[in-house]
Amino acid sequence: MERVVVLGGGISKFARQRLDGSPVDWIVEASMRALEDAGVDISAIDHSVVAYESEILARQVTMGQVVQDVLGLTPKPSIRVEAGGGTGGAALRTAYAYIRSGLCNSMLVVGADAVGRQVPASTVREVYALSGDVDFEMAAGGFFTAYYALMMDAHMRQYGTTKEQLARVSVKNHRNAISNPFACMPMAITIEDVLDSPVVVSPYRKFDCAILADGAAALVLATERWAREHSLAWKKRPHVYFIGSGSATERVRLGDRPQPYPGYAHFRAKQEAAKMAYKMADIKNPVAELDVAEVADTFTGVELQSYEALGFCDPGQSGPLLEEGVFDLGGDLPVNTSGGMIGQGAPPGGVGIAQGVEILSQLRGERPSTVQVKNARKGLMDIHGGTSSYAVVSIFSQED
Amino acid sequence: MVKVERKLEEIMVESPDGIGASDDEWAAFRRIEVIDFPLTFDFRHSLGKLSRFFLELENQRLMGTCCPVCHSIWLPPRTLCPDHHAVNDWVELGGQGVLEAFSISSYALGADSADESVVLAYVKLHGAKTALLQQLRNVPRDKQIEPGMPVKVVWSKIDVQHPMQLFWFEPDI
Ligand SMILES: [Zn+2]
Repeated sequence: MERVVVLGGGISKFARQRLDGSPVDWIVEASMRALEDAGVDISAIDHSVVAYESEILARQVTMGQVVQDVLGLTPKPSIRVEAGGGTGGAALRTAYAYIRSGLCNSMLVVGADAVGRQVPASTVREVYALSGDVDFEMAAGGFFTAYYALMMDAHMRQYGTTKEQLARVSVKNHRNAISNPFACMPMAITIEDVLDSPVVVSPYRKFDCAILADGAAALVLATERWAREHSLAWKKRPHVYFIGSGSATERVRLGDRPQPYPGYAHFRAKQEAAKMAYKMADIKNPVAELDVAEVADTFTGVELQSYEALGFCDPGQSGPLLEEGVFDLGGDLPVNTSGGMIGQGAPPGGVGIAQGVEILSQLRGERPSTVQVKNARKGLMDIHGGTSSYAVVSIFSQED
Repeated sequence: MVKVERKLEEIMVESPDGIGASDDEWAAFRRIEVIDFPLTFDFRHSLGKLSRFFLELENQRLMGTCCPVCHSIWLPPRTLCPDHHAVNDWVELGGQGVLEAFSISSYALGADSADESVVLAYVKLHGAKTALLQQLRNVPRDKQIEPGMPVKVVWSKIDVQHPMQLFWFEPDI
């Protein structure tokens, strides 16, 4: 079986409001950039996979087919995937499976969503709530910020995680976003600034939250043989391989999950997905063997809880390790050098793929010196849907 | 000129990447029209196989489901036991339990105003294996909400929109 290579990536600006186009327009921009980066002619592409969370938010059903048409990729096949916030990760895993199975030799992986100001925040909240339990929990007034806040409250009670530790994630991700021209919230802020921002749902404050944004991202994946034949960049760039993919699911309602583990404070599906990906990539000690990671940061605390699920540390140790600088630039495992969902922005279908674009650039050594991790060889992407009811972990490796 | 009723504005946008017009490959596509685009959805929504739970709320009864194999009582009810994949039976639960986790928001989905904060709490009713999410109301000002706190079901005396509004939790003092 042929190995899967990651040939190129592109992003169409993540912003609070993009009146300049539709999600389809942004996907076209991101695709053109990814194809140029890959040194690949679009007419050579075999297949596409299109990731977007919601027809209602996009105001378009079957956007996959529309994208194929607008890009001029007909009559080639296309598949649409959807997994809430984990949609982009599901697209990566789908592409891996399609290429490894021989269904195609090259794939354009694209994702977008429109959750910026074109859509009223109340509508976004309502549509997101539809991705959890509808008849019991949404009907009782439940919504995702409350679910995540409740999970972090439980984590703080169990382990003594502090609001200062949460704030530190926000400071890091907003600062990393300063070096990302496609990010929507680049900011040099302090822990005090975060703690002074208004409470949304305790313990989360305004600056603890990912930013609802418009935008798109694209990657070009292929077999090694196809790459050698069709990519002008193949001989000039470090080669990046897709070496690990894991995915898992969890009961949707937090109250249905077994106790004490995962209980309210832990992401069990993410832990399962990570184990699967590590096994495939032959990684035994993630912090020592990985050089860079993009980790789900729907809220600051989600990033901390994800460190634990991904095996970067034991449960309860994420806050102290963050304070030691382990996940900062220059630390053992820099996390969210793109700015993450907090600094770069969070159009659900785009995020998981944008993570891949960031890891690809890191592994090629192409990021600005302010955020480039030295000699980065292995990078991880972690994204989930629901309150990690669906998790995907992907691992890329640079081998030259 | 004829009028377009839903037209909100006609604007010139810049490249979102800050590229000047002379280098912008999309320069010919930067004149934008923004319209009002109302979409309304109103469904005839079946509450499905678990409808009995919602119907019995009108009789002030809380129904869970019980697995014939492991005898676990699931609340919220489930059609199948997720551990044994067996079809469950209905079973009634009492109205007392323990708060396990909660959050306090300044708004809730569908709430009209943010005047009062909304407490969403997972409560494990006595006998149940799982916890049910519902609003916790009428907490005395001097009472700290904490996991482990005993709570009870309180029933609405006024008409409601949705069956889940027929009850809520209050501290069981
Ligand atoms: Zn059972």
